[in-house]
Amino acid sequence: MTEIILKTTGVTKKYGQHKALADVSIEIRRGMIYGLIGENGAGKSTFMRAIMGLIETDTGTIELFGQHDTKGLQQARRKMGQSIEMPALYPELTARENLQVQAANGGVDETEIERLLTMMNLATTGRKHVKNFSLGMRQRLAIAVTLVTNPEFLILDEPTNGLDPAGIAEIREIILQLVNERGLTVLISSHLLNELSLVATHYGILHHGRLIRELSKEQIAQESQQYIEIELADAQAAIPILDQMQIADYTVVDAQHINVYQHNQAVAQINRALVLADIAVTRIGVTQQQLEDYFLNLTGGEQLV
Amino acid sequence: MSNLLAADKIKLTHSKKIILVLLIMGLLPLVQALNGQLTVHSGFKLTQLKDIVIDGATSILMIEKNGLTLSVVLLVFVNFFIGEEFQHGTIRNALSLGQRRADYYLAKLIMAAGLTFVAAVVTTVVGMLSYSVLFNFGQVVGIDHYFSYALQAFIVLYLLILANVAVYVAVTFITKNTGMAMVWGFLYTIGTGFVPGVFQQTEHFKFLTNWFTQTYLFYRNLALPAAITEFPQMILVSGATIILATILGIYIFKHTDIK
Repeated sequence: MTEIILKTTGVTKKYGQHKALADVSIEIRRGMIYGLIGENGAGKSTFMRAIMGLIETDTGTIELFGQHDTKGLQQARRKMGQSIEMPALYPELTARENLQVQAANGGVDETEIERLLTMMNLATTGRKHVKNFSLGMRQRLAIAVTLVTNPEFLILDEPTNGLDPAGIAEIREIILQLVNERGLTVLISSHLLNELSLVATHYGILHHGRLIRELSKEQIAQESQQYIEIELADAQAAIPILDQMQIADYTVVDAQHINVYQHNQAVAQINRALVLADIAVTRIGVTQQQLEDYFLNLTGGEQLV
Repeated sequence: MSNLLAADKIKLTHSKKIILVLLIMGLLPLVQALNGQLTVHSGFKLTQLKDIVIDGATSILMIEKNGLTLSVVLLVFVNFFIGEEFQHGTIRNALSLGQRRADYYLAKLIMAAGLTFVAAVVTTVVGMLSYSVLFNFGQVVGIDHYFSYALQAFIVLYLLILANVAVYVAVTFITKNTGMAMVWGFLYTIGTGFVPGVFQQTEHFKFLTNWFTQTYLFYRNLALPAAITEFPQMILVSGATIILATILGIYIFKHTDIK
């Protein structure tokens, strides 16, 4: 059994009467990339802040690297790196100076700085101040800042926020590289769920401050429903045909689309029956439900952003 | 805490704000000395009671002469130096590494105290040099051992100004916002300059007048024998203000959620 890096038990945080976190219990083991999913205000950032000791929780325990008392947690947090929401950087300093400041904060030497600047493609920024960096450069520098103290556990809150597709792919590659080369454990949140599904090995779904589901990548693949998606000229005309075939588990999405569940082997028969009934089928095939659809089904359709 | 001080040192040495503060504190006495000479050339006379600094020797009171200016300049500096950590979110980088909040607070206070000391030295030394060149070194009337007096006066004035800085640090940590801290810090400076006068008019609260640092910084002439005998009281009031502000600041900061 691999080492438990983070274990929270019944963590609750209230703001007045509002429960930002309600009884959240999570276990993250070494080597996991744990994707935290939730709509805006679900409590993702609050949970991450609680782990980092930036907010006081009302009840519950947080255990980091096996430590749970105040002093032990302070020691354990030295093995952590974080980037929450927008990159937290000094705009008047250069990339190198920002890394020097964080190295000093962590009490580590500056030997990693050159390697990190090269790794994050920032080695040529020279005297350029961070305030003149693009958002992608800032995000890369923020990750470099988290790495300069040689952490074993990274917390990344929306690391791809505001990035273009190329920037998103770049950050994804960096995260995977870090996990593969350094064996880091990562807790990551993103509202781009399909992007998150390309890196995460495990998921926790937060909804209104509650952890409503925890599952692995394999489990989500199993649980994600496959269904037949039919695009046709007249959805209403197809209903009697499906009834004749004794297919009851279907949804009429709109006037031209029907989704049929639990009959994935019957694509050819459905297609033939519809064509014989003189209903023009534009497209038919089995579709895998995406992580985003899975999340929306689970949370009753609440949007992420 | 040494880690935090080392990090702050890097930030400060690369900051333009520190250069700006020292530039203001260096230029101010120079301009005042030149202005004094223009006054004399216009046929007026500088008097110690009114002008406080009239030659090289009385320039040891440069902090007193510029008490309000120095306070406001340091207020702005402290607000930016600490407030920006909250606004840029960089405070998280240090705290999430397990640094104790009290250490973080004290590191900022030490850095602010250090800068206040440098600013006080710069304004005093530049004042002494410029006034000595233009008005000769002169003397402080009634003082036989100038060096001893100068040392005591400088320490007292430094502590009085440091008490203000300690309050600004506390206010910034409590408000966590540069703009708000600036407003509250300014209100504190002006308010505690005004309120002691109100207390002075009352019978029951008259004693409180002497428990505000501004009473000494704004209203006493530290060249006068009566004020010199109050040096121990000034040190006590400054020390109490620094300690109270710091305890309050740390207590609230320790129970504050960091965004």
